[in-house]
Amino acid sequence: MRDYTVIRALRTALAFVMVLSLFVFLSASPPAFGLTLAKTTAKPNEPDGNAILGGQPTRVTWEATVGADEQVTSITLEFPAGCALGEDANSKATVLEDTTRLSYDFEQEISATSTTVDFAEPVESGLFIRIEVYNLALPTVAGDYYINATYLNANGERIEVAGPQAISVKGTTGTQQIIDWLDGQPWVEAWNSALFLKIFFSPQLIVAAIPNLFIGWLRSLGLVLVGFPLAIPIGLAISFLRMARLGILRLVSSIYVNVIRGTPLFLQMYIAFFGLPLLGVRVDSYLLGILVLAMNSSAYLAEIFRAGIQSIHKGQFEASASLGMNAFQTMFSVIIPQTVRRVIPTATSEFILLYKDTSLLAAVGVMEQMMFAKSMVASTGNMTPYVVAACYYLLVTLPLTRIISSFEKKLAASEGQSSQPPAPKKKRGLPWYTRPAPLVAVDAEASSAITADEQSSGR
Amino acid sequence: MAEQRVSAGEAVAAAPDGVASDDGTTASASGEPAVIRILDLHKYFGSLEVLKGVTLEVARGEVVVILGSSGSGKSTLLRCVNFLEKPTSGEIWFEDTLITDPKTDINEVRKHVGMVFQSFNLFPHLSATDNVVLAQRKVLKRSRQEAERIALAQLEKVGLSDRAEYMPAQLSGGQQQRVAIARALAMDPHVMLFDEATSALDPELVRGVLDVMRSLAQGGMTMIVVTHEMGFAREVADRVLFMDGGVIVEQGPPQQVLDNPQHERTRDFLGLIA
Repeated sequence: MRDYTVIRALRTALAFVMVLSLFVFLSASPPAFGLTLAKTTAKPNEPDGNAILGGQPTRVTWEATVGADEQVTSITLEFPAGCALGEDANSKATVLEDTTRLSYDFEQEISATSTTVDFAEPVESGLFIRIEVYNLALPTVAGDYYINATYLNANGERIEVAGPQAISVKGTTGTQQIIDWLDGQPWVEAWNSALFLKIFFSPQLIVAAIPNLFIGWLRSLGLVLVGFPLAIPIGLAISFLRMARLGILRLVSSIYVNVIRGTPLFLQMYIAFFGLPLLGVRVDSYLLGILVLAMNSSAYLAEIFRAGIQSIHKGQFEASASLGMNAFQTMFSVIIPQTVRRVIPTATSEFILLYKDTSLLAAVGVMEQMMFAKSMVASTGNMTPYVVAACYYLLVTLPLTRIISSFEKKLAASEGQSSQPPAPKKKRGLPWYTRPAPLVAVDAEASSAITADEQSSGR
Repeated sequence: MAEQRVSAGEAVAAAPDGVASDDGTTASASGEPAVIRILDLHKYFGSLEVLKGVTLEVARGEVVVILGSSGSGKSTLLRCVNFLEKPTSGEIWFEDTLITDPKTDINEVRKHVGMVFQSFNLFPHLSATDNVVLAQRKVLKRSRQEAERIALAQLEKVGLSDRAEYMPAQLSGGQQQRVAIARALAMDPHVMLFDEATSALDPELVRGVLDVMRSLAQGGMTMIVVTHEMGFAREVADRVLFMDGGVIVEQGPPQQVLDNPQHERTRDFLGLIA
């Protein structure tokens, strides 16, 4: 009997020690053993990008593994200050064993500061828990934000999950704030309820496209602002060749002009962009685009300049010659300054044509206005970016068109005042540059006639 | 040389009084070197022979007026002198330079040969001053200040100092022509060629231009003037040439040619003009 008593006492003591040690073990155990954080991420919500914007809904994913000898009954995620809930914000929990999805019932609760998921039964150790928070808007100010998590174990103890991970948030743009504001406006909703308006003039997409296409607009302008000035000296040189005394020079330059003016710019781009790589020549596509545009435009400008030079009164050449000026001085001090005035309207039309033609480069992969608009249209399925792109083109072409017409009026007025009688038509022993090129007859009178001619011939 | 010019000018100034009826011949006979010498000049335009062997010598300080109906070759002759027309054959000498020699730098000659056109041919993109300045700077390589000073002096000479900054389109025809004269004079030419300088002008504007030409002649400038202004020819010319059919038909002092023409064609022409 005594033996039994001793044994019973020992058993009790042992049990006590075990419980005690378990208690000590549990209370002293590092949280890592309880719930190990796998990752905290947010879904990128930037249009055409992979950044996480603040201030607009995203999906935050939080994943952790339940440690050995642990059970989890509830998880609470604390959101950083400044978060907001989007429409239908909620949390969803998924429990996985390896890749198999287990059915655990849960209830969720969400507010702008936290979300809590309560499991109906404790989640056993070794299982993988994923919590997805839908339509949570992270803070609008850029920065790294942490989501702190705590959980309740089977004993009802609240334990913090160690080592929270940062989510990098890109501050929301002014544009995005406007779009968010528009999203909430009843008149925008009414506007967008008309399909035509929504497809072509969606207010949100207009706001989104303006800054986005601005870069494309600058790139298109860059193409034409480098290409066109490049075309001017080439065109001038070719116009001189077209008027050269030497037949071979006239022939070569006229082939250049006629081939380029007689074939589509689009075709020329294809030849340059797909032909050169086959020859093993690698040129930056933006640079090649500029070169193709410049070459194309130089042919048109050559004809504009030639007509302009030949429209200058013969007396100007004679007066210069009689003063002892050589051909070079005559050209650059007398003829070209006058030609410039006369060809500015036509050359500006050519500039406008070339500017519009930069859009063709989208087909060969040069990033310009059209390309930017195209990619936005592709990602939104809406035509509005094209409409915005059209406005950007008009932003350049409309003022230029107006300038041309006012300049033409001024020119007509100033030239009309000078009373130069027409020169007698005689063949004279003048320098080469005064001789009309034999191929095309040019009306010696008028730059306005050239303008009309050039414009109607178009592309 | 300045002295010679003055004396020539005095002689010319005396001419209208009829004192020196044979001034032209005196000038060349007095050993003044020839500024322009033309020998047997022929010029074809295609198959059309416009000049059929013209020989002419113009002495320093001499004012030669060329008369003739249109198509007589007088303008072509004048334009050959500074090579605006290339002669088909014959020789043209400017002082000691053979202009018709292909090796001659024609611009060197043109520096010293001023020309005034029927259609003025001002540079429309430049102000009156800049019209006069341009060639001084480009051809004579004068500094801007010097060229502008000379330009203003020349514009004053032609009575346009108050129009110095006007654009050609803002000037009347007569004013434009006077600017053109100033432009040529600014180059310090040894000879001035006037190609129907007043033909494109309204009658009331002709006088201002003729006044300038007259005072130029009185200043001793060597001039070859193609004109229809009989009064000017009579008053200013040392010698009058009558051209017809590409040849010089008759020449001599103005009184002789104008009042007592020897040749029938001259008489017909003068009859038409009168």
